[in-house]
Amino acid sequence: MIQKFLGAFIVALASALVLSGPVAATPAKEAPWLPEAAAYRLTLFLGNLEPLPWDDVGTAWAEPYRGSEFSVGALAWLDGNSDIGPAPLLDAITREDRQAVFAEATRLIARRIDEELDRAVMADDPARAQQAVRTARELYRSFADGIAAADPDASRRIGLAWLELNSSTGSAGVLGAGATPASRKTMEAAREVISLYLAENYLVDDFAPRRTLSALPETVVLSGRTIEVPPSLPPGSDIFDQDPLPRLVLNFEEQGIDETDLPLVAYGDMLFDSAQIFGNPAQGLGVACSTCHNRSDVNQRLFIPGASHQPGAIDVDGAFFNPIFNDRRDDPIDIPSLRGLRFTGPYGRDGRFASLRDFTRNVIVNEFGGDEPTPFMLDALLAYMLEFDFLPNSMLTPDGQLTEAAPEAAQRGEAIFNTPFAALGDRSCSSCHVPDTNFLDRQAHDIGSVALAYDGARTGAMDTPTLLGTVYTAPYFHDGSLPTLAAVVDWFDESKSLGLTGAERADLTAYLETVGAADEPYEAFDAENTAFRLAFSELTTFASTLDTLLPQRDAKHILLLTDTVAADLSADASTMSNLAARPEVYALAQRLAEVGDAVRTDDWVAAETSWTAFKSEADAIEERAF
Amino acid sequence: MAIHMNRRTMLALAAAGAVSLATPLAAQDTALRLAFIPQENPEKLLGDIEAISGWLASEIGVPVEGFVTIDHAAAVEALRNGDADISFIGALPFVLAEAEIGAVPLLSEVYRDAPSYTGRIFVRRDSGIGALADLRGRDIAFADPISESGYLYPLAEFVEARLIDGPGAAEAFFGRVFFAGGYQQAMQAMAEGLVDAAGASQYADLLLTPQQQAQVTWIAESPPIPSHVVIARPGLDAEVQDRFTNAMLRLNEPENRDKLRYLYGPDGYVRADPAAYDGVRDMARRYGLLE
Repeated sequence: MIQKFLGAFIVALASALVLSGPVAATPAKEAPWLPEAAAYRLTLFLGNLEPLPWDDVGTAWAEPYRGSEFSVGALAWLDGNSDIGPAPLLDAITREDRQAVFAEATRLIARRIDEELDRAVMADDPARAQQAVRTARELYRSFADGIAAADPDASRRIGLAWLELNSSTGSAGVLGAGATPASRKTMEAAREVISLYLAENYLVDDFAPRRTLSALPETVVLSGRTIEVPPSLPPGSDIFDQDPLPRLVLNFEEQGIDETDLPLVAYGDMLFDSAQIFGNPAQGLGVACSTCHNRSDVNQRLFIPGASHQPGAIDVDGAFFNPIFNDRRDDPIDIPSLRGLRFTGPYGRDGRFASLRDFTRNVIVNEFGGDEPTPFMLDALLAYMLEFDFLPNSMLTPDGQLTEAAPEAAQRGEAIFNTPFAALGDRSCSSCHVPDTNFLDRQAHDIGSVALAYDGARTGAMDTPTLLGTVYTAPYFHDGSLPTLAAVVDWFDESKSLGLTGAERADLTAYLETVGAADEPYEAFDAENTAFRLAFSELTTFASTLDTLLPQRDAKHILLLTDTVAADLSADASTMSNLAARPEVYALAQRLAEVGDAVRTDDWVAAETSWTAFKSEADAIEERAF
Repeated sequence: MAIHMNRRTMLALAAAGAVSLATPLAAQDTALRLAFIPQENPEKLLGDIEAISGWLASEIGVPVEGFVTIDHAAAVEALRNGDADISFIGALPFVLAEAEIGAVPLLSEVYRDAPSYTGRIFVRRDSGIGALADLRGRDIAFADPISESGYLYPLAEFVEARLIDGPGAAEAFFGRVFFAGGYQQAMQAMAEGLVDAAGASQYADLLLTPQQQAQVTWIAESPPIPSHVVIARPGLDAEVQDRFTNAMLRLNEPENRDKLRYLYGPDGYVRADPAAYDGVRDMARRYGLLE
């Protein structure tokens, strides 16, 4: 599995990109958004959800977006930095008029750009002019992907205008040295290019009705052309990997078996990390199985506005990923860990799938809009996922008893855990979380943790989760409503009237924390085992399945592999600490792409040649770079 | 990120932690004032300044205040007019400040084990451009005219290659020369195909997306350029200078390294070597910025 967290280490990636495709698996940390630009992009995103979360739209303008480096929201920011009033926009939000909100928000951003351009042209010194140009350009980012997708000529023309505008602001130099005057005429001409386009496309009195809200220019919408804007996530989204990175325990690996000798497993490992098996927008965003379940564990930071109610949760049957699968219920679930997967069936939080194969197909086809996977793909994914083992824990015996290494409080807690309570129907905690079957019973129970969907509903049963490894998977319950294991104990004590004393609660919590602990929960990186080295090793292992697929002339599965791995290898090179070695990795990625190119033209000899070269070059890099 | 200084320019922040834990200095009865050049988010910088000022105050034994200036020029101006005692600044503005007002270099930033970096000429891999000469008549974006790695040094590579006669003759060689406003803007303009090349810091390609990084390469590299420098106004009490410098050097210690992120994120600091800036002084003379 590739470590997508690597992208997070890109130092101060200040690019004006949005989290958008087409991308490989390594997402780029995006530059912070100006408050009103962030609110606009959130409005577009939320406005495409059904049902439309109007409260979230209001919040998008009133509060800083999640993770914002600005302490105030768009409205307060506008109040302090602009003469443009938001009243028409706020009125439209109050009326829950989607089209009016789009129109008012779009015009507000366009006016803000013009306002900053005015300031730039009127500025009496270069520093202030440049500051206004920078601000205007940051606001233009709100529309940039729509213009680039729909009108590349205009995008280029405006891009050059920004360069021209900034260049013509002049320079104050330092203490007079190196000072150059501004060229007002050039500034005004460049500004005109931008403002004219805004006037025609974003300062329109009466926008055409939008089925899908986007930053597409009005003239293009009116033309009726079908334009695909690359999918993007709104400000506040987080699809980076966990930090620290969880340790991945694979059964075969612990036994000293090399993954390159298990081609089906290796191919499944690749698929688990491939966005190619999903449809858009997931594919374009680089979302893969490992985005949520990286290293077989839980991505506790994953967050998508409108689809997540808190980090580590996602509504996979909402409007965003696959509209046809939209159940129109706002029901995000806490992402479950996949450790020990072969022991934890049935699958799904409510245990709706007895078969892991059926569950996996549902994820690919329904939740994320992918094409029907081939039997080979499902076989491979299952072969890989069934290797996920629980984290070793020296405080537990294989049959779930505490060892002498467990703290005393946990020993006392174990007795409570096994004590039948009348309030539980003379059952104990261990009745469902059975210690010698990995602390679960493979059944669904209604413990009262789910709000009734309607009067008389019998829909509250949830699959018993294992307690193993839970120290690292907070929060708890299907909706992530309980932040700590202590809160879980409190919930049971209070909702089931168990009558535990404070000390007993503490002991029971200590027991859960002992059962849920691990000897080495996280991957240990050092100067030798670097993040890139791990990624490089994983990617070359994925590629090793070509030794099996090329002789079989299995074009479909070869191309899925080369498209995934070549792009990932190239993208992960950006995380290398040895910057000078990056070109070698880019060349290696190109070599793998050449395998795919040859297969596409049915030139199997060339494919074999490129694959042989890849292996040789990969070995050389492995020796030199590490 | 845009810089919104219209209300915030020269906004002084009293350090939250200005209560001294160290021995107070009689010589510095007022706060030590630090001028910071802006970065992508002024609000974040203000928070960072508050954090680092508090720590410095406790280490040095005098109150420490920090404020953000609108640009390098304003930071130097603040030293000249006494609004600031210390400034964090680039090598070129430093040598100009040194010549004009006698500014003193105290510390140099360290990146990847070196208190220096280079400027490079970047192009797209698919551009067919393999040498500086290939850029004749083509368009180039630099970061800023007062930028050592984002203009002076990369342009000097064309002079070294005898493609242009001197800094003033660039327009005759290139099609267009743009100043994009920063490394990232120059690199984006090149990566997006708006211009054929970009002149920027050797690390500037890290400002592109991973996908864009794979699509660009560099065709020329300048000699080492001294990294950004922490400078003091002339006449600042010698003991205050020492205490400040020693405190800053303690940022290299493992227990303090997390605070480096409040200061533009270098890997550490070393004492500045004034002679290390001779090359920058020469360069400034070649460009007519110094006499």
